[in-house]
Amino acid sequence: MFLAFAAPNVALIVIFTYRPLILNIYYSTLNWTLGAPTAQAVGLRNYVTFFTSSEARQVLTTTAVFTVATVGLSMGLGLLVALGLNRKVPGAGFAQATVFSPFVLSGVGVGLAWQYLFDPTVGALGAILRQVGLSSPQWFNNPSLSLVMVILVYVWKNLGYAAVIYLAGLQSVSRDVLEAAAIDGANRRRTLISITLPLLSPTTFFLMVTSILNSLQAFDLIRVMTPLGRGTTTLIYDAYLQAFGGYNQAGYSATISTVLFAILVILTLIQLVLLERRVHYL
Amino acid sequence: MSLQESGVDSPAGIDRRRFLGLAAAGLSAVALAACSGPATSATSSSKTPGQVDLSGVKPAGKITWWSNNPGSSQAVSQQIIDAFHRSQSAIRVELVTAGASYEDIAQKFQAAQAGGSLPDLVVFSDVWWFRYYMLDSIIPLDSLISAVGIDTSDYRDQLLADYQYAGATWAIPWARSTPLFYWNKAHWAAAGLPDRAPKTWDEFAEWAPRLNAANHGIQHAFQLPALAGYAGWSFQNNLWGWGGGWSAKDSFDITCDSPRSVAALQFLQDAVYKGKWSGVASKDSTNDLSAGAVSATIGSTGSLVGILKVAKFEVGAGFLPGGPEATSPVCPTGGAGVGIPKKIPRENQLAAATFIKFLTSPENTLLFAQATGYMPVRKSAKTASLVAKAPQSQVAIDQLAVTRAQDWARVFLPGGDQEMAGACANILTQRGDVGGQMNALKKTLETIYTTQVKPHL
Repeated sequence: MFLAFAAPNVALIVIFTYRPLILNIYYSTLNWTLGAPTAQAVGLRNYVTFFTSSEARQVLTTTAVFTVATVGLSMGLGLLVALGLNRKVPGAGFAQATVFSPFVLSGVGVGLAWQYLFDPTVGALGAILRQVGLSSPQWFNNPSLSLVMVILVYVWKNLGYAAVIYLAGLQSVSRDVLEAAAIDGANRRRTLISITLPLLSPTTFFLMVTSILNSLQAFDLIRVMTPLGRGTTTLIYDAYLQAFGGYNQAGYSATISTVLFAILVILTLIQLVLLERRVHYL
Repeated sequence: MSLQESGVDSPAGIDRRRFLGLAAAGLSAVALAACSGPATSATSSSKTPGQVDLSGVKPAGKITWWSNNPGSSQAVSQQIIDAFHRSQSAIRVELVTAGASYEDIAQKFQAAQAGGSLPDLVVFSDVWWFRYYMLDSIIPLDSLISAVGIDTSDYRDQLLADYQYAGATWAIPWARSTPLFYWNKAHWAAAGLPDRAPKTWDEFAEWAPRLNAANHGIQHAFQLPALAGYAGWSFQNNLWGWGGGWSAKDSFDITCDSPRSVAALQFLQDAVYKGKWSGVASKDSTNDLSAGAVSATIGSTGSLVGILKVAKFEVGAGFLPGGPEATSPVCPTGGAGVGIPKKIPRENQLAAATFIKFLTSPENTLLFAQATGYMPVRKSAKTASLVAKAPQSQVAIDQLAVTRAQDWARVFLPGGDQEMAGACANILTQRGDVGGQMNALKKTLETIYTTQVKPHL
């Protein structure tokens, strides 16, 4: 009976999750041009090439900056928005829907819309700046600004997710505890720091795990807004560029994907082992 | 609680040990499956083209055509397909939009080689078909051309030659283009400039301050095309005008670091940073021109119809300017053709060739050109109606006589175009040292040639 119930799910997981994963690791040991019927086994040469290249340092740095900035800003601003939405004011439901709606929009659509807004020559932002005698920053041609631009749009799109999760966490904080703190003379700031935030730690932990995983796999906005990837080439985008962006090095791309997988596993384990100890469950 | 402890009989007498054994077997199967990717071999082998044997082959009844609909051509492509269906009943063609760009369609086509469903006809861009040739993914078309009676002598020689290699023809010209020099005639008139494109870049450098002075509100006299996808293509004009190139003519000898090539790109950098008469487009320089934000730009003939639709001023179109070393030929060809995959039945290949003949007939290439701005690829196409509707089209047709085949480093090196775009971006948007960037680019391009192209030749 156990096998009868488990087998379909196990089969699906094996076929669609573990098999591609193992295949990817296998491909990472090949010199394989995408579409070619044959490939050469090269052992760990792709890994040596990646880790000894200047490109790897740049890509890993960009990935780290993108991840820290997007996770930090999404969660920080999401908490502030949630604290604001947690008050019983008219239109709170509409505000919640407004904040959350970008999260459910297509990343491609969001990228195209913001691309128009940021365009220095014919975009809305440039037009506003020119009205006040300023010139538009070169968002697309300056690699540093390209990264800033993509981070801003990513945070705008994903802020609502963090806000809604935090809001649910805030609404589950026991009124008794808050009233006890008030009776003991704690002001709002002290209550937030000593009561609310610790009680939100399970929510923060959940958001951190999911946000880091999502951020490390962010692709659509980067692809649409900065197709060359100058300044915005994260690990996942580098894997795409190497296989599909003109180079067709499927084996090398699989190597980068495997490195990304290893990083995701390590980060998740670190979070589970170290950070979860600091989480307070009621 | 185990199955035994719970009193539930395990199916087929499976106990824990047996279950673990089965699990291990399953994992082994997965590991074995990992060996089902590409076959491994010690080296890549070179190949000689073998023509398709068509003896006793009848055309298939249905074929699929993968297109990225360049120049917003989906409607006109379907119109041509419908006309094909009316002209005969033996072959049905299904148009599949397989992406929004040449890169998108290339991704899908190459991924499909690994076991996916292949199309019968595919759009091949100028920078992709040679990779398909190296990967042995496409067939030479010569026997099919003979079988269906395609008159290759009626195709424009320069365009057909772009797809000929190793004594065979690998694609048929379809959505072909060249870059054109587009300008805003109102801005020109305000600056008192002659109603023509500049003959040389030095001449335009003299005109640019007059354009800026006479047209308050414009952001730049000239807008360089967006670097992603266009730098490698359109800057060949500058490189050739200065006597340089990405690589030597019809050769893999990389020359992007030659003094003449460096001087050409230095001119462009100076236009942006010293003369300040040129900007660099973020997305599409023809949109910037159409919006009136700049006075001139370079864009594909495939952008012509779009520009004419959007621009609220009279648009001029002219030959690309020359440089101090050459004024002609300094214009590259571009765009895409159509070709046929190898791993499909010969019946489908024959049907696809039959449709290619119809698709690129003189009447249909004209229809396609009218709808998109791409050039008619047939010599016998009657272009009078096209030119009457958009006189600028005549410029593209005339310029074809002075085009030059693209540098091999751009069209034949995988990733070469991206590397060129990256180096040009460093020069034109980060003020990178031109000589240093070109030296680094040369090393990269030579590595690509040595590792990814040479073994296949």
